[in-house]
Amino acid sequence: MGVNKTEEMVLNIGPQHPSTHGVLRLKVQTDGEIVTSVTPVIGYLHRCFEKHCENITYQQVIPFVDRCDYIASMNNDFGYVLAVEKLLGIEVPEKVEYIRVIMAEMNRIASHLLALGTFGLDVGAFTPFLYMFRDRERILDLFELTCGARLLYNYMWVGGLSHDIPVGFVEKTYEFLDYFEPQIDEYNNILTFNKIFIERTADVGILPVDVAINFGVTGPNLRGSGLRWDLRKDETYSIYDRFDFNVPVGQGIKGSVGDSWDRYWVRVEEMRECVKIIRQALDMMPRDGDVKAAVPKRIRPPQGAIYSRSETPRGELGFYILSDGKPKPFRLKMRSPAFTALSVLSEISQGWMISDVLAILGSLDIVLGEIDR
Amino acid sequence: MKRYFYNIWETITTLMIGLGVTFGHLLRIRKGNVTLQYPEERWPQPQREIGFNLDRYNVIRSRLHVDIDDCIGCLQCSRACPVDCIKIEFVKVDKGLDIGTTSNDTKKRLLVTRFDIDMTECCFCNLCTYPCPEDCIYMTGGPNSRKHPIDYEYSTYDRSDLIFRFSNVDPDQVARLTGQNELKVGGK
Repeated sequence: MGVNKTEEMVLNIGPQHPSTHGVLRLKVQTDGEIVTSVTPVIGYLHRCFEKHCENITYQQVIPFVDRCDYIASMNNDFGYVLAVEKLLGIEVPEKVEYIRVIMAEMNRIASHLLALGTFGLDVGAFTPFLYMFRDRERILDLFELTCGARLLYNYMWVGGLSHDIPVGFVEKTYEFLDYFEPQIDEYNNILTFNKIFIERTADVGILPVDVAINFGVTGPNLRGSGLRWDLRKDETYSIYDRFDFNVPVGQGIKGSVGDSWDRYWVRVEEMRECVKIIRQALDMMPRDGDVKAAVPKRIRPPQGAIYSRSETPRGELGFYILSDGKPKPFRLKMRSPAFTALSVLSEISQGWMISDVLAILGSLDIVLGEIDR
Repeated sequence: MKRYFYNIWETITTLMIGLGVTFGHLLRIRKGNVTLQYPEERWPQPQREIGFNLDRYNVIRSRLHVDIDDCIGCLQCSRACPVDCIKIEFVKVDKGLDIGTTSNDTKKRLLVTRFDIDMTECCFCNLCTYPCPEDCIYMTGGPNSRKHPIDYEYSTYDRSDLIFRFSNVDPDQVARLTGQNELKVGGK
């Protein structure tokens, strides 16, 4: 093929393109249909999150944290409140811990459903997208029942929660889980083991585990490359040590380890693990208790710095907070998992065709709200 | 050769399985499984039982309401707002003058001359409703919404209609109550 080399052409994908999952521009250098290099251009959604946090109180940061990874707001809130609680040194009640875990895992399912659905959409499967959004809707309904919001919850507060769970929430969640578990098999039937889907994704965009580690890729993308690394297991925070769950990794069932299909498969398996965790948490959760018992009247942390990390659906979310003893953070740095996932795109998409680049991008599951902040 | 035919076999079977799933859905069409015809049909709002006070109310992040007669001008909601969409101004009333009490029997000391909420800026975080000592600011569906009919949409044709001005004090009243033409205006 080297003989038939044509003049290279720069192709702009985005910023307004349905496959870039937000306002992302990809500068793609192409040789015919073969991609020679990809340069992501980011910053279209930059909202000065970190600088803005220096001017608002710790409690007021939470709505902005919601808007970073807007697909999995609960998990983002969870990471942030863990950091501030670590800085303040407060213990939260048992019930709050359980509700937080339930909410975070439910949002993980919702986030994975969106990731898988849009990934299917990227490679041309429309029906699974609708099925997954239909089921995601049920989770959003449960969130709406709990806190009144469907997307940006502001539910987890420093030291507690904004509302207690409503009467009937536990039963409705059990009902949802009973409904949802067979649905995963249905997704597998319609999309995961579909030959066309496998042809499009297996062996495409292989991310070797050493490249993944060098780029700092975390979460399902790293686990898809075969490394069993999950902060919920390996650096347990909150009460995740009480639950029995597995960490699925990519095994190269349909292609080789670390391809797009493996990253997809890890997410599917992770949803099953989430269901397991939620079931255990619902069984073990104390039924009464005040969810606002440990909420401090005024959040004024002592001088010092803290780095706290947690596992969101996209990987390791870290918050570095520098406090000077005032009610506002002196400096707040957010380590976003989607940013590192995007940075590896140019490395793994060389030599593939343009349509494959979009498949690889879809399998990385990025959220631009979090990348640009 | 074997691989070639196996691929064809696999393609046909997996396609048939997928089509079976969609066909199953075709047979199982029921209400709620298809698109809602929005203006005629509406998704039911979740009924929520909160557990305290035995009051049944929904927590819906929709419009902010203010019972201005209960407002004492303490600015707590305005301070809690992360996007500064609540603008409050007040004047101090001369001592001895009575401008009424709130529903919680708190004596009002400040006359709120301006209480504007710009719902186009609001980020629906609900943070302003918690610190209010008189429970006079609340989202639709909040604890005081029994007093008002619940409508969840609040869509308007003009952006300026989304700036809600709650204060009902006229300048003459202010001048009369403060006893002077020059106003001592405070607020955020």
